[in-house]
Amino acid sequence: MAALSEEVLLVVKRVRQRKQDGTLYLMTERIAWGPEGKDRFTVSHLYADIRCQKISPDGKAKIQLQLVLHTGESTTFHFANESTALKDRDAAKDLLQQLLPKFKKKANKELEEKNRMLQEDPVLFQLYKDLVVSQVISAEEFWASRLKLNSVDHALSNNNKQEVGISAAFLADIRPQTDGCNGLKYNLTSDIIESIFRTYPAVKQKYAENVPHNLTEKEFWTRFFQSHYFHRDRINTGQQDIFSECAKQDEKVSHLSCVKNPMVDLMSLEDKTLDEGYGSLTALPNSSKTVKENSNSAIIKRFNHHSAMVLAAGLRKVEASSDQASETSSTDGNSRDSDFFQPPIKKVKLQEAIEYEDLQNESGPKTIALNLKKSDRYSHGPVPLQSHHYSTSQDIINSVSCIQEEISCYKPCLTRVMSSSAASSAITALSPGGVLMQAGAQQTISQLVSTDVQSELKHLYTAAGELLRHFWSCFPVNTPFLEEKVVKMQSNLERFQSTKLHPFQEKIQREYLSTNLTNHVEEMIQAAYNKFHAWQTRRMLRKT
Amino acid sequence: MKLNIDGLLVYFPYDYIYPEQYSYMLELKRTLDAKGHGVLEMPSGTGKTISLLSLIVAYQRTYPLEVTKLIYCSRTVPEIEKVIEELRKLMEFYTKETGEKNNFLALALSSRKNLCIHPEVSSLRFGKEVDGKCHSLTASYIRAQRHSNPNQPVCRFYEEFDAVGRQVPIPSGIYNLDDLKAFGRKKGWCPYYLARYSILHANIVVYSYHYLLDPKIADLVSKELAKKSVVVFDEAHNIDNVCIDSMSVNITRRTLDRCQTNVETLQNTIQRIKETDAAKLREEYRRLVEGLKEANVARETDIYLSNPVLPDEILQEAVPGSIRTAEHFVGFLKRFLEYLKARLRIHHVVQESSPQFLKDIYEKVCIDRKPLRFCAERLRSLLRTLEIADIADFSAVTLISNFATLVSTYSKGFTIIIEPFEDKTPTIVNPVLHFSCMDPSIAIKPVFERFQSVIITSGTLSPLDIYPRILDFRPVTMASFTMTLARTCLCPLIVGRGNDQVAMSSKFETREDFAVIRNYGNLLLEMSAIVPDGIVAFFTSYVYMENIVASWYEQGILENIQRNKLIFIETQDAAETSMALEKYQEACENGRGAILLSVARGKVSEGIDFVHHFGRAVIMFGVPYVYTQSRILKARLEYLRDQFQIRENDFLTFDAMRHAAQCVGRAIRGKTDYGLMIFADKRYARADKRGKLPRWIQEHITDGSLNLTIDETVQLSKHFLRQMAQPFRREDQLGLSLLTLEQLQSEEMLQKISQIAQQLLLGRRQLVPQPLVLLAKPPHLST
Repeated sequence: MAALSEEVLLVVKRVRQRKQDGTLYLMTERIAWGPEGKDRFTVSHLYADIRCQKISPDGKAKIQLQLVLHTGESTTFHFANESTALKDRDAAKDLLQQLLPKFKKKANKELEEKNRMLQEDPVLFQLYKDLVVSQVISAEEFWASRLKLNSVDHALSNNNKQEVGISAAFLADIRPQTDGCNGLKYNLTSDIIESIFRTYPAVKQKYAENVPHNLTEKEFWTRFFQSHYFHRDRINTGQQDIFSECAKQDEKVSHLSCVKNPMVDLMSLEDKTLDEGYGSLTALPNSSKTVKENSNSAIIKRFNHHSAMVLAAGLRKVEASSDQASETSSTDGNSRDSDFFQPPIKKVKLQEAIEYEDLQNESGPKTIALNLKKSDRYSHGPVPLQSHHYSTSQDIINSVSCIQEEISCYKPCLTRVMSSSAASSAITALSPGGVLMQAGAQQTISQLVSTDVQSELKHLYTAAGELLRHFWSCFPVNTPFLEEKVVKMQSNLERFQSTKLHPFQEKIQREYLSTNLTNHVEEMIQAAYNKFHAWQTRRMLRKT
Repeated sequence: MKLNIDGLLVYFPYDYIYPEQYSYMLELKRTLDAKGHGVLEMPSGTGKTISLLSLIVAYQRTYPLEVTKLIYCSRTVPEIEKVIEELRKLMEFYTKETGEKNNFLALALSSRKNLCIHPEVSSLRFGKEVDGKCHSLTASYIRAQRHSNPNQPVCRFYEEFDAVGRQVPIPSGIYNLDDLKAFGRKKGWCPYYLARYSILHANIVVYSYHYLLDPKIADLVSKELAKKSVVVFDEAHNIDNVCIDSMSVNITRRTLDRCQTNVETLQNTIQRIKETDAAKLREEYRRLVEGLKEANVARETDIYLSNPVLPDEILQEAVPGSIRTAEHFVGFLKRFLEYLKARLRIHHVVQESSPQFLKDIYEKVCIDRKPLRFCAERLRSLLRTLEIADIADFSAVTLISNFATLVSTYSKGFTIIIEPFEDKTPTIVNPVLHFSCMDPSIAIKPVFERFQSVIITSGTLSPLDIYPRILDFRPVTMASFTMTLARTCLCPLIVGRGNDQVAMSSKFETREDFAVIRNYGNLLLEMSAIVPDGIVAFFTSYVYMENIVASWYEQGILENIQRNKLIFIETQDAAETSMALEKYQEACENGRGAILLSVARGKVSEGIDFVHHFGRAVIMFGVPYVYTQSRILKARLEYLRDQFQIRENDFLTFDAMRHAAQCVGRAIRGKTDYGLMIFADKRYARADKRGKLPRWIQEHITDGSLNLTIDETVQLSKHFLRQMAQPFRREDQLGLSLLTLEQLQSEEMLQKISQIAQQLLLGRRQLVPQPLVLLAKPPHLST
C-alpha cells in the first residue's frame, strides 16, 4: 500500500536516522523515512500516532527532529545537509506543526466518540458484541456506517456542549519581559492569539485586513501592544493607530445594547430624582479631573470592557448557532411566537424577587416553560400544506358560529335509528370473544416463551436488523466499492444464519416451541437473498 | 394560613411562617392599636413586606373606620413594584380563602416617565423631558386655548380621562405600573392622572418617598389623603437624607445666568401681553388683591409650580403690594438676582444663618422678608397668567424663588454657605451658594402630625433610638427583631491585619499606605480563590476605589484575581454601571464567577440585592465615613449637637455603620441564602463601631472573629462555606426558624416568641430620656 495513492507533501534528502543516510517523506497521513538507495520505508508513522515533535535548540551542532509517539517510543531524525540543514528541519517542523493537530484531534475524537456511543447505548453494545466480537463483521465495517449515521446528531450534541471559555487573565500571561536593551519582549503563543481574537473580534478583523499585505505579523502585534486600545490608561497619542477604530466600534456596540433586566437598570431605579439645583451634597460636575484621575477611570473602563468581552466570547458561539437555527426555521413569518408566549422578563424577575421558597410548600415539580417556535404547529401537528387557501380567523369564527347554529337546531331523527336488538348484537360481536374478535384471542409471545429465549430473540432481531441495514444500504449498487461490500454482506448474512440463527432454531425446537418464532427473521433474510440473486443475475447478464 | 394576632384574624398567604414575622406583626398591631408611630428593624429577607401588608390589610378589613388607607412608601421603582406583587399574592389568597371577591383597590404611583402612554411623550428618555412635554400638552391654559384654536396640540389620553375618567372609579383590584398602563390603553385614559386621582379613594397606595416628603410634590399629590391612614416608610435607614435633600438648594453662577435670561423672557412677555391683552394682567392683579389663594384655582396638571414650603405653611394672607403687579415683581426678581450675584463674588468662604442673610439683603437692596416669602407663590401665578408653555426652561427662576421662600420662612434648621471654589481646586473660581437644610424633621413633621400611624422600618435601623431623635417624633413602639436561624447562614468576620501583621484600615493617615493597599488586594485575591460565584466588594468612595484599583493594577494584583474571576467595577456613569451589573450577574449565573467592585453610598449599594449566588461574600474595605471636611456636613453636625445633643462622632459613626450594614446586608436575602460578611478594617472591632451594627449581624460576631489576619479569615471562610454547601432542607428549619400553624400555637413556641418581645422592652427603656430631649428642643417653625 505504500505510497500508492498518497500525496507527498515534502521530501527532504540527506536525513540520517540511526546513523544511516536516507530521505524523509511527509505525506498526507503519515511521515516516512527510507534509507538511501532502497525502495521501501523502514520508518513510517501515521500522524495520528504521533504525540509531539521536539527539535534541537538553535545553535547546537546537530540539527535534529524528534518524534514522540503515543506509545512512548521516539524516533530521531538528523538533518545532515550542511548548507540547508536548518532550513530543511524548519520546513519539516512547520509542516508537521500544521498537520499534527488535525490528526491528533481526529484520532482522539473518534475513539472517544466510539467509546461514548458504546457506553451510552446498551443495545448498540450488545450488537457490537454479537457482530464484531463474534466476528460476523469487522469493527471497521460496523463503525463505517455508524459514525456516518451519527454525524448528524453528533454535530448537534457538539453544539450543545459548552465551549471552553477564555481565562480572564490571558493578557496577564503575556507579561512583557525587558530584553536588557531598552525594549520589551512579549511572548505570544497560538493559544494567546486565539484568545485575543475570540475576545476582541475587532482585532481579528484588523488582522485579516492588514496581515500580511500591509503589515507583517510581527509588526501587527507590535503595534497592538503599543496601541491605546491595549493600554487604556495611556493617553491616546497614535495618529496612525489602526486600533483606534476598534475602540469606537466597541463603544458603539456597548451603547446599542442596553440593559435587559429592569431590576438592575440603575437609570430607572429612582422614581423621582431631585431637580437640578436641589439636594444637599450634590456631586458637582467633575470638570476638574486631574490627569491621574482620568487615567484611573480609564483603567476601570478597560476592566469592565475586558470582562464583558471575555464573558461574551464564551457565549458568542452558542448564541450564533442558536440564532442561525431560529433564522432558518423562521422563514414563514410567525417566529416571534416564542416571544409572545414567554412572560416578559420584568414579570419573571419580579416574581423571583418576591418568592420565599421555604415559606410555601412547593406545588409539584417546577415546570419548564414550553418554548414554542411555532405555536400553530404545536396545536395542529404536521399537516400537509394545502396550497389553495388558509382560513382566516374570520372564517374560523364564521364556521364556529355556523356549527353552533346547526347544533342548536339539531333534532335527532329518532324514527330512523337502529333497533336496540340489532345494536346490542353488534356490540357483542365486537366484544372480546365475540364473532368478530376471534383473531385477537391468540396468546402473545410473551406468555408462551421464557424470558431468556425472548431476550435472545431480541438480540437476534437487532443483529439481523443491523446486518440487513448494511446490506440494503448498498443498493443501488453503483460503485465497485459497493459491489464488493454487497457481496461481503451477503456472505455475512449467510454466516449469521449458520452461526446464530440455526443454533437458535434448534434450541427452540428442543424446547418444543413453535418454530414460527423465527419465521419473520427468516423471511427478512430470504428477501435479502432474493434481492441479491436478482442483482447478481442482472449483473451476469450485463457482463455477458 | 390564618393567624390570630392578638385577637385579630390575619390571613397570611404562606403555609409556613418565620417566628420573627409573627413577632413583627404583634408589634405592628400594638402600634396601630395605640394610633401612634413605630420604629421597627427586621433583617432583610425575613419577609418584612408581606408581614406588614398582611397585618395592615387585616386591620383595615376588621376596623374599616379606624384605618382607611395604607400609604406605603418605598425608595426605588423595582421596590414599589415588588410591594404590589406581594400584595397581589395576598389578595389572591384572600379570594381563595374567603371565596368572595373583595373590593380592595391598591395601586402604585410613579412619575410620568414610568406611566405615560402618549406615543411621543413616553419615548423621551429623561424624566424631566417627559414632565415638560406632558405639561406643554395638558396645562390648564393650553387646554383653554384649544377652545379658540382647535389646532393646539393636546394629549388625547388626558382629554379622554378629564372628560369621563373621574365619573366612574377605577374597578377594584391590584394595579401595578404596567397594569395601570394596560388599563389606560384600554380605556384611552392617561394612567398617570388616573393613578393620581385614584389614590384618593384607593385602599392602598404604593409610591416613593418624595410624594410625601418633598413639599414641592407632596402639596400637589398627597394633600388630600385621609388622616386615618397608616404610613409606612420601608427601607427607611436613609430617610433623614431624603428629607434634607428635598429642602436644600444650591445656586451656582450658571443658575444665576440662566435665571437672568428667564427674567428677561418674563419681562418681554409681560411687555407683549400688555400691548395685546392688558385685561389679563389686570385680572391677575385683582385676584392677588383679593388674596384668592392660588391653590383654589390650581389645576392638577400644573405640578411644576408648586410651593416648596410645607402644606400647613400655605399662606393665608394676600400677596404683598410691592410685588403685586407683574412689572414690579420682575423688578423685584431682578434686584434679588443682582444681590445674589454680588454675594457670589467673594474670595473667602462665608457661612451665615437665615436671619443674617435676611438682614443683609434688607440692608443692601432693601428687600423685605414678607415679599420674599411670597416669591414662589407669586411666580407661580405669573407664569400661569403669562401662559408660558414650556415650564422646564424656567427651572432656574423657579429655583431662585423657591430659595427665597424657604430662606424667609425658616429661621432655624438651615444654613447658608457660600464657597468661592472647590476645596480640591482652589485655583478655579466656581462659587456656589449652598442653602442647606440641617434638620430632617422639618420635611417629615407634617407627615407625623397628619397621619395617625407612621411606621419606619428597614433591615438596618441601628441604633434605633437615634431615628426618633433626628426626626423629632415620639414612637409608641421601637423594636429590633433578630433572625431566627436553623443554621448560621451569615458569617461576619472582622479582618484587621494582613499576613505581615500590618494593620488594615482606610483611615485617612494610612489610606495611601502601600502596605495597606497591598493587604486589601491580597484579601480580595485570597477570597476570590475560595468563594464560589459572586463576590461584592465595597469601597468608601469613588476616589478611593479608583486609586486602589489603579495601584492594584500596577502591582499585578488584579491580573491574579482575574485568573479566578471576572472583574466588574461600578463607575459614576449609571448606564455603564448597569451594563457592568448585568454582566456581573450573567457571569455569576453561568458559573464563571465574578467580582463587583462598588462604592458604599453608591447606587448599587442602595438599590441592588445580591441574592444567593450573586453575592456569596461581601467585603467592606474600610469604614464608609462621609467626607468629613465638607462645610455643609460640619454645619449639620454642629446643629445636631446643639439641637439634639448628638455628639459629632456618634453621628458620624452611626452614619458610617448604617451604610456599612446596608452594604453587607445586600448579600443575605432570606434564610436559605448564605454569605460571608467581611469587614476589612481594624476599627470595626471596637465596641463603638460594632455596637452600631444591626442586632441580627452583631449577634454572630464572636470574639473569635475579631481582628483576624487574612490567613485566619480564609480558614474561617473555607470552613463556613463548606458547612453551608451541605443540603439544607425544610425539616432542618421546621420548629426553629420556620413554623407551621400548629407549632405556632404551642405554648412553648409562644414563650420563645415572647422572649424576642422581651428584648424589645430594652429598646423601650432607652426611650425614657426621650421626652427630656423633646422638651429641650424649641419649636423651630416660627412664622
